[in-house]
Amino acid sequence: MSEQRHQGVVTFTRREVLEAGAVASFAGVTSSSAADAAAPARQAEHGITQRLSTRINGTAMALEIDARASLLDMLRERLGMMGTKKGCDHGQCGACTVHVDGRRVASCLTLAAKVDGREVTTIEGISDGKTLHPMQQAFIDHDALQCGYCTPGQIMAAIACVREGHASSREQIREYMSGNICRCGAYIGIVNAIEQAARQTERT
Amino acid sequence: MSLERNPDRPRIDAREKVLGKPLFAADREVPGVLHAMTVPAAIAKGEIEAIDIEQAMRVAGVVRIFTYLDFQDIRETPATRGGGGNVPGYQPMKRASVRHRGEPVALVVAETLEAAIEAAEAVKPRYRAAAFSAWHDQAGAEREPLQVDREAGDAPGALAAAARTIDVTYLHPQQHHNPIEMISTTVSFESGRMLVMEGTQNAAAFKFGLAGMLGQDPNMLDASSPYVGGGFGQKNNLQEQTALVARAALLLRRPVKLVMPRSQLFHTATYRPFSSHRIRIGASVQGKLEAVLYDVEQQNSRFDQFEAAHGQHVSRMYATSNWRSTNRRVRVDVQSPGHQRAPHEHPSSYATECAYDELAHALGIDPLQLRLLNDADLDPITGKPFSSRRLVECLRRGAELFDWGRRQHATRSMRTADGQLLGLGVAAGAYKAAVSPALARLRIRADGSTHLSITGQEMGQGMRSVVAAEVINVLNVDPNRLTIDMGETAAAPQHLTAGSWGCASAAPAARAVALRMRERLAELVGIEQANGNVHEALARVRRTSLEVEVAHLGPGQPKTVLDRMSRGLPAAAGPEYERFTAFSWIAHFAEVHVEPTTCRIRVPRVVSVVDCGRVMNHRTATSQVRGGVVWAFGAALREIAEVDPRYGRVLNNDLADYVVPVNADIGDIEVELLDEPDTQLNISGAKGVGEVAMVGATAAIVNAVHHATGKRVRHLPIRIEDLLEASAEGQPYLHESLALAKRLRDQQPAARSEAMLRKLIVGLAAGTPPYDDMSPELAELTRQQLHFLQKDLASLGAVRSVTFKEVSASGMDVYEVEFEKERRIAEVRLRADGRVDAAWINL
Repeated sequence: MSEQRHQGVVTFTRREVLEAGAVASFAGVTSSSAADAAAPARQAEHGITQRLSTRINGTAMALEIDARASLLDMLRERLGMMGTKKGCDHGQCGACTVHVDGRRVASCLTLAAKVDGREVTTIEGISDGKTLHPMQQAFIDHDALQCGYCTPGQIMAAIACVREGHASSREQIREYMSGNICRCGAYIGIVNAIEQAARQTERT
Repeated sequence: MSLERNPDRPRIDAREKVLGKPLFAADREVPGVLHAMTVPAAIAKGEIEAIDIEQAMRVAGVVRIFTYLDFQDIRETPATRGGGGNVPGYQPMKRASVRHRGEPVALVVAETLEAAIEAAEAVKPRYRAAAFSAWHDQAGAEREPLQVDREAGDAPGALAAAARTIDVTYLHPQQHHNPIEMISTTVSFESGRMLVMEGTQNAAAFKFGLAGMLGQDPNMLDASSPYVGGGFGQKNNLQEQTALVARAALLLRRPVKLVMPRSQLFHTATYRPFSSHRIRIGASVQGKLEAVLYDVEQQNSRFDQFEAAHGQHVSRMYATSNWRSTNRRVRVDVQSPGHQRAPHEHPSSYATECAYDELAHALGIDPLQLRLLNDADLDPITGKPFSSRRLVECLRRGAELFDWGRRQHATRSMRTADGQLLGLGVAAGAYKAAVSPALARLRIRADGSTHLSITGQEMGQGMRSVVAAEVINVLNVDPNRLTIDMGETAAAPQHLTAGSWGCASAAPAARAVALRMRERLAELVGIEQANGNVHEALARVRRTSLEVEVAHLGPGQPKTVLDRMSRGLPAAAGPEYERFTAFSWIAHFAEVHVEPTTCRIRVPRVVSVVDCGRVMNHRTATSQVRGGVVWAFGAALREIAEVDPRYGRVLNNDLADYVVPVNADIGDIEVELLDEPDTQLNISGAKGVGEVAMVGATAAIVNAVHHATGKRVRHLPIRIEDLLEASAEGQPYLHESLALAKRLRDQQPAARSEAMLRKLIVGLAAGTPPYDDMSPELAELTRQQLHFLQKDLASLGAVRSVTFKEVSASGMDVYEVEFEKERRIAEVRLRADGRVDAAWINL
């Protein structure tokens, strides 16, 4: 989808909103050049909706969204941000881990409405795609993945684990990373990667 | 030509994966997609009398609700999930009946996921339930005739004549794969063609199998599964919902997406069924194996063809010239089981490798020596040589890395520095080296890019890295501009990737196509330039690109298997080939620590040495072995599906209750890959590694638990309660928990609890609580709170009566106390020594 950014605000035109139905996934935050933006809303909402303003990966967004929607389904089905994965939808596997105001949360257990006024960071927001986050590089260096499905959640949890001060030993890393299941069993690589990234973070 | 050793190379798709870029099946953007949700059957067997959708249709955003009335024309064919072989399988929602708990009975399609979920919950089916059996030991379970699967020599005769014999039975529980990517189906339409996106190990089954079920031309259908978020065998086939979603999309003329909830996958997707394994071994006093009789019973659904034969690799592990293995299926009213990582090899290696450990213990022989003593030169079943077999080297090298020499023979004889029981166990494994046909199409361009389209599915095992290695090894291409299509029926014919044949099929195809390309280039530009930078060589002769294609077959496979593959049919061969038998081999050594009081088991270290032929990528192969050991840990100590026979459902159908290994469970896993090419098998010298990794590792852990504790547990998973009996330190805990379980079941208060409660109340009200009757912790708490406890109790007046209400889940005896002024609830718990360790009154 095409989107237009003005001072970090994603906007949609009135025409698109009307075409998409009574309620669009994005509500326009007005901007003089918004008429140039041309992107259909991904999905019309049905049922009771909730208005919310949030920043996702540094971009301010205003949405009118189904009150039942989880943050995970907002990211994936409304915003097309597919890096965050659904592995259980019950907060049991950790694949959907994102940061809200810098803390790790299971986005499947977080109602979208709860991020109103908060800052959300996902796997798409930790690097520009060219220069990797040290945790991403460490995951490559230690082959801390196989299928890659739990990986975004592992990396988001790992960054938080280091930030929380829970990466001082291998035992501590294992304990504080046990909310993220890797069914392929790449746990040893994950611990090695976090050790490396934690050392790098210390140095900087 | 000698084969080059592969250097250390990163996983080719690691960068994409750490960026969250790969698009798994449910990640692909499909404009206008509708969301579906299934309604699972709430009975295990019976008729559907009616399905009330009125309330569900009123949910805003619902487009349509499908029932069996809409799907009767879906065909059941051998491709239907739950079929297998040439027998048509079972497709739910074709009839007004239910054959297993949790099968879909309605499919809601809505504009949003939230609407679909709400409406699915509002659908009200009315059933007429029928009698059923959900477990092998229930009345109505159908025991099929016994099959002999492998036989050599005269096993019964040799057993009767043997100097020493053992006869043991091991039980293996039902387990579920639980890949973290839940199974999802998305069907869309592009230029009049149907595109099915589902994470699968078998895109071919979708193109051809689904077309057959829907009565469509397979040429109008493509299946796309470029990334699979873990398969482990659960994504081998069409799923129960696949045809339903496809038919719904066709009827609605709109794309439809269904992500199956994990709770439903426990009842619709395949799983590893319960099995029991009787092993009788006859041996000489020196430990030479004279006879093995191995009999397996395995549970199945009423309609599935999944085989119960477990003898394939265990009959080749040792020089067992008198061997007989048999199997039988026991049919009950459940969903179909299927292949789960090392589907027969894991349970059979668990049972037999534990039994050999029992034999070694009984004979007073080191279990490692027992295995070395019985090494086989030739395949005992066919008499043919093995294509390669370095099992002895795996065992010897593993013993060295693990320091097996420190092991003392007696059980309970070793302790850690901090006093834990220490156990060391060994076991070995093998897995067939099978192959399937594969087609590879390679295009190099003068602009510096290279593209490979190939048969094979990437599910995390590293297939992309493996085929890339062979192209890079043979041709001087720019590795950073190499792109690979796999799992796409539009790019190359696809074949089921399973049975650990992926690497040994795709790697040689990739090598063959690269060699063919070099030949073509040599014709075009001369040998010298063909060995140099191929993109520059092409540019020099003004060619924009060059493409070659190779179809690669397994040893001795006739060309006709290509025809099978081109029709989407399985065409794999092995482990028995014309001139040899081929297996990968492994040895595992496990160290366990058992905390003597609580009997908590930890596995701090495992050493695994594997003969998987030439290592195609050291990182991905090592990771496969570690992953296999993690699975073996899960099987040994965590995983079991608890089936409630009254309702036919898996009680623990989510990841909170079906416990899989987490990071904190896993200690060091040291892996050594022997990296010796098996060139008899294929030109890459590769054998499989993903499944052999797990084979035998559970037995190594179980054998180590026996060595640590002296307790031989013959079921899985081993739990704390299995060991408490054997632990002197654990005895009081065991008795206490058994007593609590009894009180809970009988809802009987402890003998002196009412008298103790009265004594407590009187003492507290008087300001002189009976501290000697309390645990030190409770006494301390009481001292702190005495001031207000006394005041409040005194204000209620004297006790008139005390009535027992119940035993709570935490073991508290709950009473209603009638004081002069008011009634209050009070709880008290007595320890085994008669003291109160918890008391509470609602003041």
